[in-house]
Amino acid sequence: MSLRFHWMLPKGGEAAMKTAQETSRVLTTRSTSPAALPDIEGWTHFARSAEQSGIESVLLSFSRYEPDTMFVACAVGRATEKLKFIVAYRTGMHQPASFVQQINTLSGLIGGRIALNVVAGSSTEEQRGYGDFLEHDERYARADEFLAVCHAFWRDGEVNFDGKYFCVERGRLLTPFLAPARSAPEIYVSGHSEQARQLALARGSCWLRLIDTPEKLRPQVAQMRERGVEVCLRLCVICRPTREEAIEAAQSLLPPEEIERQERGILTRSDSQTLKQALAAADEVGWLSRNLWAGLVPFYGSSAMTLLGSPEELAEMFLEYKRIGVTQFIIAGWPKLEEMQIFGREVLPLVRAAERH
Amino acid sequence: MNLRFHWMLPKGGEVVAGARQTPREAARYRLDSTRDDSPAPRPDVEGWAHFARSAEQSGVESALISFSRYEPDPFMVACALGQETEKFKAIVAYRSGLLKPTTFVQQTNTLAVLTNGRVAINIVAGSSKAEQRGYGDFLEHDERYARADEFLAVCNLFWRGDGEVNFDGKYYRVEKGKLHTPFLAPARSAPEIYVSGHSEQAERLALTRGSCLLRVADAPEKLRPQVERMREHGVEVCLRMCVLCRPTREEAIEVALSLLPERDLPREERIVTAKDDSQMYRESSSGVRGDGWLTDTLWAGLVPFHGPVWTTLLGSPSDIAGALLEYREIGVTQFIMSGWPELDTVVTFGREVLPLVRAAEGREEQQGA
Repeated sequence: MSLRFHWMLPKGGEAAMKTAQETSRVLTTRSTSPAALPDIEGWTHFARSAEQSGIESVLLSFSRYEPDTMFVACAVGRATEKLKFIVAYRTGMHQPASFVQQINTLSGLIGGRIALNVVAGSSTEEQRGYGDFLEHDERYARADEFLAVCHAFWRDGEVNFDGKYFCVERGRLLTPFLAPARSAPEIYVSGHSEQARQLALARGSCWLRLIDTPEKLRPQVAQMRERGVEVCLRLCVICRPTREEAIEAAQSLLPPEEIERQERGILTRSDSQTLKQALAAADEVGWLSRNLWAGLVPFYGSSAMTLLGSPEELAEMFLEYKRIGVTQFIIAGWPKLEEMQIFGREVLPLVRAAERH
Repeated sequence: MNLRFHWMLPKGGEVVAGARQTPREAARYRLDSTRDDSPAPRPDVEGWAHFARSAEQSGVESALISFSRYEPDPFMVACALGQETEKFKAIVAYRSGLLKPTTFVQQTNTLAVLTNGRVAINIVAGSSKAEQRGYGDFLEHDERYARADEFLAVCNLFWRGDGEVNFDGKYYRVEKGKLHTPFLAPARSAPEIYVSGHSEQAERLALTRGSCLLRVADAPEKLRPQVERMREHGVEVCLRMCVLCRPTREEAIEVALSLLPERDLPREERIVTAKDDSQMYRESSSGVRGDGWLTDTLWAGLVPFHGPVWTTLLGSPSDIAGALLEYREIGVTQFIMSGWPELDTVVTFGREVLPLVRAAEGREEQQGA
């Protein structure tokens, strides 16, 4: 099977932005940020470039600072032909039945080009603004029930469920999930905690986590693959003709001091296991391997773990992950658009050529 | 103020460009839309876009997109349809117990920005017990209204936009809630909210949280007191009805009678019996008298079989225009219509009836000036 490559959809107004500094969370969470508004023109342009670059899907992130992901997928999906949408959504916000009805409707509107990234929750503070007062571990227990009910709707004619968080009696939805060769969406479960892994194993089709070195990931990946669950890694990529140029580009993305201080503040308020681990890695080492750098994480969040180097080095790294059983990647880079085009032009052909041999 | 006219969005597969349907076939299609093998639950952007363009040309302002387990999600449908049209608006029906108000506002606001503000909300507290339980909602009728009240209270706090939202109610609790995506529309910072229902709770909810009460048409003299109460509090009234317009009243009646079931349906097959705790449905299964004529032009003959929204305004173009102007007299400002088939009826309405209404409104305005 060939590796599958996805990309982060830039936030509103970001498609044309060049640097990490411009798109730092400190700026995108301000109420005046363009990230609050849908950017159909920028997104459509980005989506078409993604299709041309050999990218399969875009991931749409969910937060109170951004438009609702399902509607963005609907609008951009109607303006594109092939690109798929991995829609991030939190599980405590809907009854599962009405959630499935939205997903199914969306699938019918955009030719089934929809997958789901289930997030049990974010910071306690943000969850409370959504009316959700459960703590981390209980959020996972609820997410488990939530997905159990969703699967029942995708599988059965009539749904009955009597759980701790959700009850459904003779539930029925007539609008089916409509996609070529699928009757339910792929489900990416993200998170680094033990609960997240268990949820991925029990209810997901793919575990989504941050990149780490292949040797550190090997046991977890093997555990997932044995149970028929794929593994998808989130990372940033900086590809330049040589490793030295890539390092130089990466270091130019380090932020001014004020942004650094504020971002640290945002990060330490989170109760996400993923973030804690990533921050620790950044503080301790910086370089996780010759090509994997955590230097941007303290400033731009855990997903800024960066794979950098020449096209040949990067292609070899992706193949290394393939050898331990990883099958998918969700990538971001700076400049948002150009880094994806470089990847499609320089790295992807090397990966595909090696996969053919 | 001129009367505003909206229309029901047809079911999926109902509008096929170039195909002809008799009124009876159209009615049958709609009744069968809840069957497992009906194509109606599948999104049908092509048919809907065709309808929307015709409705827009006919002078109709919005489509009401209904919510039920037999149909696609109306929010998503409004989003897709909004990409295909320029002016046409959507009134999205949604039940208040299915998602958190914060999420609901985030979805509504996103849709508003994507469609240049062409979205209004029709809040429904709930439908039949059986359908609600299938959605995971086990509250009873009265409690559903209490919850809907809190739901809209939270939504309105977000739309008021005066900083963080804090709410501590019986059904919802929000702490330091904020959303960055605003409701964007020309001259509005929150959607119009239609509250539907016939119970006292529905009326109260419309008065406290809504911009318009949506109810089924009845004789003007029966509606007058309620309409006055609403208008005094600055809340509009919008009537749901079907329209059947033919060159003469006799022809319209003939078509109407062709829509009656061939045999008298046993009680358990009538849709009205399924919606056990809906006030609107209880009224309709008991209240229709004799031959079903509520006025010379308003016929409830189909209501005992198919429910209150089949209440039909029928007659010649001038009969219908006259009846609409009578509602205007008593303070009704909006209508949501439906017909068999939807497309033909909206075109006929726009060509034959609406010009008469607008002409009368114009004369009145001149006299007033």
